[in-house]
Amino acid sequence: MSELTRESTVYAIYIATTVEKCWEALTSSAFTTRYFFGRSVESDWKEGSPWLLRMPDGRVDVAGQVREAKRPHRLVLTWTVEWMEPKPPECLVTYEIEDTGNGVVRLTMTEDHPTPIPRAWLEGGRKGWPMILSGLKSLLETGKPLGLPTPMPPKEISQ
Amino acid sequence: MSAFVYVTYIYATSQKVWDAITKPEFAHRYWMHTNVSDWKPGARWEHQHGDGSGKVLIDGEVLESDPPRRLVMTWTRPDRSKEPSRVAFDIADYSPGLVSLTVTHDRLEADPGMASSIAGGWPKVLSNLKSFLETGRAENIWLTKNKEG
Repeated sequence: MSELTRESTVYAIYIATTVEKCWEALTSSAFTTRYFFGRSVESDWKEGSPWLLRMPDGRVDVAGQVREAKRPHRLVLTWTVEWMEPKPPECLVTYEIEDTGNGVVRLTMTEDHPTPIPRAWLEGGRKGWPMILSGLKSLLETGKPLGLPTPMPPKEISQ
Repeated sequence: MSAFVYVTYIYATSQKVWDAITKPEFAHRYWMHTNVSDWKPGARWEHQHGDGSGKVLIDGEVLESDPPRRLVMTWTRPDRSKEPSRVAFDIADYSPGLVSLTVTHDRLEADPGMASSIAGGWPKVLSNLKSFLETGRAENIWLTKNKEG
């Protein structure tokens, strides 16, 4: 087990789109299945409601609660990876969508770890977010996702 | 902050990404500035304002050059008021038609002002580079208000 850390991961990306479309792309399966490693999302996106990230085979990847929802500018989700054993502590994922003018928005994703986790566990997010958000940008700007391979955890997890 | 790392995935060839960074006629389109050098190890490079004045905003030395895969250079304030930092571009084929571009900007310990400036700047430059190569359009981003300055 590596050193424990509470370090955050931050990724900002500029996208030629509107804040509403960016919000929709983050919260609608019609978009997420195309750029978020095939995952769909389920929620009514109201503060306090549950939300889910579901794998293409139907298994739940991530579950949590909508902590804040200020459509179309700020969405804060609690985030627990459901398939890992033992289940990792809840983290927080915040999306901030800012209109910078001229048809360009800045999307900033922040992954926070209120409970310390092994440093090695940061790698999943640090590798994954640039892929996910690069794909989101391509999808919104060109109509085409990146076509990245879909990583799936094994059916039987042994940690 | 001692190192800033930013990864982006771009629908392009590694050669196109290399050219977009190293050829002024491309950099001008998405960066507004240009990078000028013969890109041989040991050569000087200049980050020039793209307004035609040729004003040097940053300069340094090419430390490694392996086109179209890896380019490393020092990143120096022209007034030499701070120790140089260092920038590495790594371009890798990820899947057919798709490359990853990783920018690692380190040795920033002696220049917190630069560390703060580049942390705001690289996402903008690299988002724009991606748009430029994928859509042929890019310049709007530089007309926007920017709280990082």
